[in-house]
Amino acid sequence: MDVKKMFKEGLLTKNPVLVQLLGMCSTLAITTSLFNGIGMGLSVTIILICSNVLISALRKVIPAQIRIAAYIVIIATFVTIVDLLLQAFLPELSENLGVFIPLIVVNCIILGRAEAFASRNGVLASALDGLTQGIGYTAALVIMCVVRELLGSGTFGGGILGGGEGIRILPEEVSALLMIQPVGGFLTLGVLIAGAQWLVRHLEKRKQEAVKK
Amino acid sequence: MKSRVSIPRLALTLLLITALAAGALSAVNAITQERIAAIEQEKILEAISQVLPDGEDAQEVALSGNTGLVQAVYASASGYAVQVAPSGFKDTITLMVGVSPEGAVLAISVVSHSETAGLGAVCAADTTAGQRFRDSFVGLTGSVAVSKDGGEADTLTGATITSRAVAEGVSAALAWVAENG
Amino acid sequence: MIMEIVGILLSAILTENFILVKFYGICPFMGVSKKTDTALGMGMAVTFVMALASAACWAVNEWILTALSLEYMQTVAFILVIAAIVQVVEMFLKKSVPALYQALGVYLPLITTNCAVLGVALVNVQSGYSFLLSVLNGAAGGVGFTIAIVLFSSIRERLDESDVPESFRGFPIALIAAGLLALAFMGFSGLSIA
Repeated sequence: MDVKKMFKEGLLTKNPVLVQLLGMCSTLAITTSLFNGIGMGLSVTIILICSNVLISALRKVIPAQIRIAAYIVIIATFVTIVDLLLQAFLPELSENLGVFIPLIVVNCIILGRAEAFASRNGVLASALDGLTQGIGYTAALVIMCVVRELLGSGTFGGGILGGGEGIRILPEEVSALLMIQPVGGFLTLGVLIAGAQWLVRHLEKRKQEAVKK
Repeated sequence: MKSRVSIPRLALTLLLITALAAGALSAVNAITQERIAAIEQEKILEAISQVLPDGEDAQEVALSGNTGLVQAVYASASGYAVQVAPSGFKDTITLMVGVSPEGAVLAISVVSHSETAGLGAVCAADTTAGQRFRDSFVGLTGSVAVSKDGGEADTLTGATITSRAVAEGVSAALAWVAENG
Repeated sequence: MIMEIVGILLSAILTENFILVKFYGICPFMGVSKKTDTALGMGMAVTFVMALASAACWAVNEWILTALSLEYMQTVAFILVIAAIVQVVEMFLKKSVPALYQALGVYLPLITTNCAVLGVALVNVQSGYSFLLSVLNGAAGGVGFTIAIVLFSSIRERLDESDVPESFRGFPIALIAAGLLALAFMGFSGLSIA
């Protein structure tokens, strides 16, 4: 098990959002402030680790014919647990993320990792896979949030820093409100994925050149 | 890969998983339920305290019949806290409006809303712009309108519908006090 | 009553379009929008399942979950109901309307993980819609989905033939096109019946 490789894959070369293009609903919808992005990212990471571990542990018990249904029940249970805990202990985050918390159930990342990784690998490897993929997802969300918040509201760290208002970087007059609207989500993600594609290609080219030498 | 598993066993496995899931959820629900209810209650109480100086002492007033936008009313010595729910840009906005016994707005506070971030959401934001908007309703009486409609209350930039909704809610609260207060 | 119905239709299809405003169902929106005819097929399948799921989830919520005060089981119950509906629809179409099954077949299993379906079921409950309004909201949401995905697929067909910078080829440029489409739909946002 190559831990370093798995982290690299989760963060960049197999990043769930930027390369595998999974879980885009939440990526677009809630990335309007840093607080939301980190909260959503961590929630998904925790659910992903839990569901990966349990599904991996049960992989020999669950018959193949009903595996998808079983996975969905397991995932939905973890999602509801996180949903209830957030409502009870972090009500503000729960209110901001709204219906997108229960919608984590249908976030393709979680079911995708269950089917592609956890159902074929051991518990420890699956936990690590959940962690690295979750961190990759969180990283993508955080980048989206920082860009959209900076351009849309002109602040950094909304919901966390500066008493919830965020630290003002650009004056209020120049901020483009469009960026925290749906339009901004699509545009930011488009540019971000283009950047990731460029980076992945660039890295590969360098590797090939190194091999040649 | 294609092993034959009998249908009853499939059903039983799925049933078992679902039952375990239900058990786990009911346990978590039992732990969180009270806290979630308490947080809801606290939000209402906090909103009352924000709009009435002696909000802690406010008592709920029993409502009867069709009260329109008015959802609940709490009364104290310094006036009434009226909870109204006008339709905003996306969904209803729940507002707490403090009204003096003479029928003037003391303060307003937004309990919950789902307005557009950066535009309508300013009405509830804990920022100077949000505070300025809410303060612009203070002292108003009778039927309240926003500046865009020739009234005295502010209109939020790019969020006329939200501003009008708040004005509508405040008017409903004032009307309730005028009639029942 | 009629105003309420018109209001729900208007907002589900245009002002609160499920994809372009609310961000539900982005995965199939991006995944199955390369060709207009497949997009239309997906749209129809989703519309059908959304209406059916709204009805079934309303019933489950009203008669089982609320009756037994098991509201916290909503997400689990709804997703199971949706998965079952998708299965049944698939089997039914295969047996009785093979032509339609041929057309939609590949997309049906994908619908289970379409968050527009679970999304509409959850929103119906949160908004406290009656049975009829829930079904209507589901169907109208599906129509909104269909309109968006068909419009988008015709844009993508043209994109295929244009000269796009290397890094932007494929998904990135499609997302930017979707952004512009969302911008167009924002124009509907002031629309309301009063």
